[in-house]
Amino acid sequence: MAIEETGENPIKNEGDIVTCRKLIRNVATTAGFGMTDVTRIVTAVSELARNVYVHAGSDGVMRWQLLYQPGKIGIQLVFEDYGKGIPDIDQAIEAGFTTAGTMGMGLSGVKRLMDEMHIQSELGIGTTITVAKWGRAK
Amino acid sequence: MNHSHSKYLSNFKNWAEQKRFLDFTEKDVEFLKKLHPFAIEYADSFVDQLYEHLLQFPDTKRFLSDEKTLNRLKLAQKAYFMDLTSGEYGEEYYQSRIKVGIAHQRIGLPPRVYMSTYCYYMQLIIPKIYGNPMFDVETANGVFLALHKIINLDQELAISSYIHAIDEVISRQTEEILEMSTPVIQIWDGVVAAPIIGMLDSGRTQQFMERLLEAIVETNSPVALIDITGVPQIDTATAQHLIDTINAVKLLGSQVIITGVRPVIAQTLVHLGIDLSGIITRPTMASGLKVALDKLNIKVMDNPRA
Repeated sequence: MAIEETGENPIKNEGDIVTCRKLIRNVATTAGFGMTDVTRIVTAVSELARNVYVHAGSDGVMRWQLLYQPGKIGIQLVFEDYGKGIPDIDQAIEAGFTTAGTMGMGLSGVKRLMDEMHIQSELGIGTTITVAKWGRAK
Repeated sequence: MNHSHSKYLSNFKNWAEQKRFLDFTEKDVEFLKKLHPFAIEYADSFVDQLYEHLLQFPDTKRFLSDEKTLNRLKLAQKAYFMDLTSGEYGEEYYQSRIKVGIAHQRIGLPPRVYMSTYCYYMQLIIPKIYGNPMFDVETANGVFLALHKIINLDQELAISSYIHAIDEVISRQTEEILEMSTPVIQIWDGVVAAPIIGMLDSGRTQQFMERLLEAIVETNSPVALIDITGVPQIDTATAQHLIDTINAVKLLGSQVIITGVRPVIAQTLVHLGIDLSGIITRPTMASGLKVALDKLNIKVMDNPRA
């Protein structure tokens, strides 16, 4: 089976976090990412999907896409929710900051696990977090 | 099978509501009764044609293996054909439909066969409705729509019992997995070990913590090994669950050693910025056990006579 280049998965309940992880583990492995990178990517998925589930308080979605550049393979993940939004993005990505009684290491951790991270958020409208990871093409 | 807690299977009261939703009224009942004489006249022929059709496909033929089954099913179909136009759609009818759905699911009849059988019936019935000189167009339309509604009600019940059965299997398996996946074993006098397989999410953490704490007290163990070899990745939520568990164990006066920390996990933990510096960690369960035995001042030696 040829790998699909793009796809999405809803995030509505805790079970969807598991589905997202499984899906991306498959996609990243098939695309040719190494074990360590796959684990990094999947850990980031786990963090961001959980963020959508915990903070958004409504439905969200994860979209993924494979990216190609000469000699490189990349994966881009977009997590979109229609929740209350992030008031202060700089504060949110500071290690140790939390509004949910959790560790507060999620976003700052994801930033270190991935190569690119972009957060767009509007209060009362929702948040879109885009991350990407690059690896050497097989 | 317990029907009372299903989110899919309706109860009789909901079914009445479903009838209202479908706008299934006394008028429809009257229309269906008009079909009853034809049901009596054509039931045998329709049912024979249906089974002849079903026997042509290997997919459905396998359910009709022997003559006895075939005859029993034909009789049941005839009875259903009569019921469908009897004008009685109360609790008894409702219960019999549920039973049929469950029976079909149990023998593994695919829903698509169940659904398309109705379509086949419609092919046989519709000419009888519209070709009937006793029915004017308005009556024929009324009869057709009423039949469509009662079949829709029947299908909904049958399909719901299919889904209900699958749902039961899933929830049973989920419980089994939950039970299975967090065993706590005593591996030495004073040492318990808990291998975690899969991700530690909130539902499992609670169960895992309870079992571990109970086992520690029960076996009076000063050391507990938590093995994470089988954990595919650790995110901050999982790490938090682990730390909570470790703190609870400390309150009992025992100590946790985390074993099975793979290089990949170690790297992601560092990237995530999770601080496990106060916790003893080892790459393998064997090296963790060594630490535990040292703490208990136990020395394991080669047998000198061997």
